[in-house]
Amino acid sequence: MNTAVQPESEASLIEDLKRGDSTAYRRAVREYSPGMLAVARFYLDHSSAEEIVQDCWVTVIDAVQKFEGRSGLKTWLHRIVANRCKNRLRTAKREVATDFSETLEPELANRFNSTGRWDLPPKLQFHDSADTLMENGALSDCLDKHLSTLPETQRSALMLYEAHQHKSDDVCNILDVSASNLRVLLHRARQKIFLMVETFQETGEC
Amino acid sequence: MLMCRDLAEIASDYIDGELNGRQNLSVKMHLMMCKDCRTFIGNLRASSNLLSAHSSGKADEEFLRRIDERVAEALSVRKNKCSDSE
Repeated sequence: MNTAVQPESEASLIEDLKRGDSTAYRRAVREYSPGMLAVARFYLDHSSAEEIVQDCWVTVIDAVQKFEGRSGLKTWLHRIVANRCKNRLRTAKREVATDFSETLEPELANRFNSTGRWDLPPKLQFHDSADTLMENGALSDCLDKHLSTLPETQRSALMLYEAHQHKSDDVCNILDVSASNLRVLLHRARQKIFLMVETFQETGEC
Repeated sequence: MLMCRDLAEIASDYIDGELNGRQNLSVKMHLMMCKDCRTFIGNLRASSNLLSAHSSGKADEEFLRRIDERVAEALSVRKNKCSDSE
């Protein structure tokens, strides 16, 4: 399901924002805040992240007047959030702790024998298309639950890349991670989702 | 020779087309011979598609309402400033 604002309607949305149209702001807040929150959660705890996103929207009212559309509106908003978060971390002299040393989830790594072959190969094939799988409410709830337990760094990378369809370069720029570290974050997060769906399909349990 | 574990380590790079030509070829060769890895790659790709299909993150309505209020307040301050300067 793709509900993203299309380029031509994005241009008219930007014009409406520049005019200070409150309906346009309501629409934009609903469209872009989830992604902005995902960016902020990469850097900050939940309540600070919400605070930053609120502050950013207030900043946007003036800043959008100078927005020239060199990047998409979504990327621009995500960069504003990332910069604010980085400034706040700089002030607090804190850094985001991340572990990029292992590319395999331990639960998956244990399924190979010492020669590097599968000991416990995947048994079931996920036959259904993503849309069909998502029609299963229990699986959708289970996915929500697992996404909420992912480390913030993995979840933010996953949300920006998969759900908000940013390009790798944009995600690296917004989250301030190298391309190779982004690959590790994405791969670790995908493995966790793979393990979750596998358990769900085999046992029906989350 | 690429082993199943090696393939599992670079599986996302393969799915996203981030491998170089030589690595890509060795993954393809391995997949031709290994049914388990074909299942794994297929399932990992399905997991990735599942995430794209899943909502792009929901924000709770209360949070959105608080933003609306802050924005409305800031818009009205801006409007007053503009009419003062006219």
